[in-house]
Amino acid sequence: MRARPLDLAAIGTLATAFIAGLVVPPDAVQGDLQRIMYVHVPSAWLAYLSFTVTLVGSVVYLRVRSLRWDRLAGASAEVGVVFTGLALATGMIWGKPIWGVWWTWDARLVLTAVMFFVYLGYLALRRSFDDPEIRAHRSSVLGVVAALQIPIVHFSVTWWRGLHQPPTILRPDNPQIDTPLLFALLMAVAAFTVVFAALVSRRVELTAAEDAARRPDDTDATAGSAISAPIVGGATS
Amino acid sequence: MSLRRQITTLVRFELRDELRGGEVALVVIPFAVIALLTIPMAIGIDTPLLERIGPGIYWSIVMLFGVLVTQRHSSLAPAAARDMLRLSGVDPAARFVATTLATFLLLLGFEVGAGLATVILYDPSLSSWWWLAALLPLTAAGLAMIGTIGGNLVAGLEGRTSLAPLIVVPIAVPLLLGAAQATEGLRVGAGILRWVLLLAVVDTVLALAGVLTARPLEESAT
Repeated sequence: MRARPLDLAAIGTLATAFIAGLVVPPDAVQGDLQRIMYVHVPSAWLAYLSFTVTLVGSVVYLRVRSLRWDRLAGASAEVGVVFTGLALATGMIWGKPIWGVWWTWDARLVLTAVMFFVYLGYLALRRSFDDPEIRAHRSSVLGVVAALQIPIVHFSVTWWRGLHQPPTILRPDNPQIDTPLLFALLMAVAAFTVVFAALVSRRVELTAAEDAARRPDDTDATAGSAISAPIVGGATS
Repeated sequence: MSLRRQITTLVRFELRDELRGGEVALVVIPFAVIALLTIPMAIGIDTPLLERIGPGIYWSIVMLFGVLVTQRHSSLAPAAARDMLRLSGVDPAARFVATTLATFLLLLGFEVGAGLATVILYDPSLSSWWWLAALLPLTAAGLAMIGTIGGNLVAGLEGRTSLAPLIVVPIAVPLLLGAAQATEGLRVGAGILRWVLLLAVVDTVLALAGVLTARPLEESAT
């Protein structure tokens, strides 16, 4: 398998973001522990991005009925589930020393976990079908309905008063974060986004190859191919 | 046959099937009451605590056991019955609306039955009880729609009995949150309008999604 420009870009931006995350000064209050945010925040961003891409892929599939959109939706959900799991895991690792517990009944946390399970169900449904067309039809419908979770998870920190902090960067007034830390965070977000694009692109190709492998070969399975002409009168074949 | 006639015929058919089998009344509601009875045994006999958390437990029971109502035998028509309806020219949207309506009515009955058991067992104190007249139907409608969509998604699959709850329950969480937060608001005497609005918005989105995706689901019938 050859490395493509997108793969190389993913590796390059990820390495740069990693270095940036290490060289920026530690947080004044949380110290080095805050550096986990350079993984947690981009992972959470990718959760939103990937499930939105799944929604778009599903809607477009239902409109144009082209399997490439279904493959995009499925690949994006698969990568999204991985990054949602990463966001949950890094959140718990950060939460233990800061909040004193691995898990707390905070609305954002609980709803993110629920979103994780919604898309696990989506992936389980996709795996239940051999026929790509049926898989595409049904999973597209679920891809649309499941997207209901995305705004609810996002607005949960505003609707419920919990432990999770409200938006720091995406707020109406100025971002409440120092410039070097903001720079490192934005670098990480950009790098994770490129990694997402590279992974989804590879997964789409792989799904297309899987679908092609499942498709019966027309040259082998012609009607009557198992029947051969009878050999009569001592003729040799 | 008009769309309305198709819907009423199918709803009548589903309800008659439930009347004959009694799956919700004789199985699901008693099962839910058993759950309501066993939870205090697990968390301890603390009457003030149980009184406080009773409404939340009720909504959890409604969501978890409501899935059983939405995935009951009669709503999962066999492949032959689905084919017959399709060949008869029954509109897929009419089938979605009919199954949802029948499930909604059964869920409403289930909510009332489980609610009475909760009042007797947990004795919750709520101000403005009349709000329940809006909360119960809104939650039942949302759960019925998610259940119908989920049932159609897993129709014909071997692992549908385990896959359907995995799909339906997480998607129904916004309904649980809206209903539980609204009931908590009633308990402490706070405003609940925004939670009722959340339920209404979720129901509207689900209704649109259900009607618009009914045909693609019909086309993918195995």
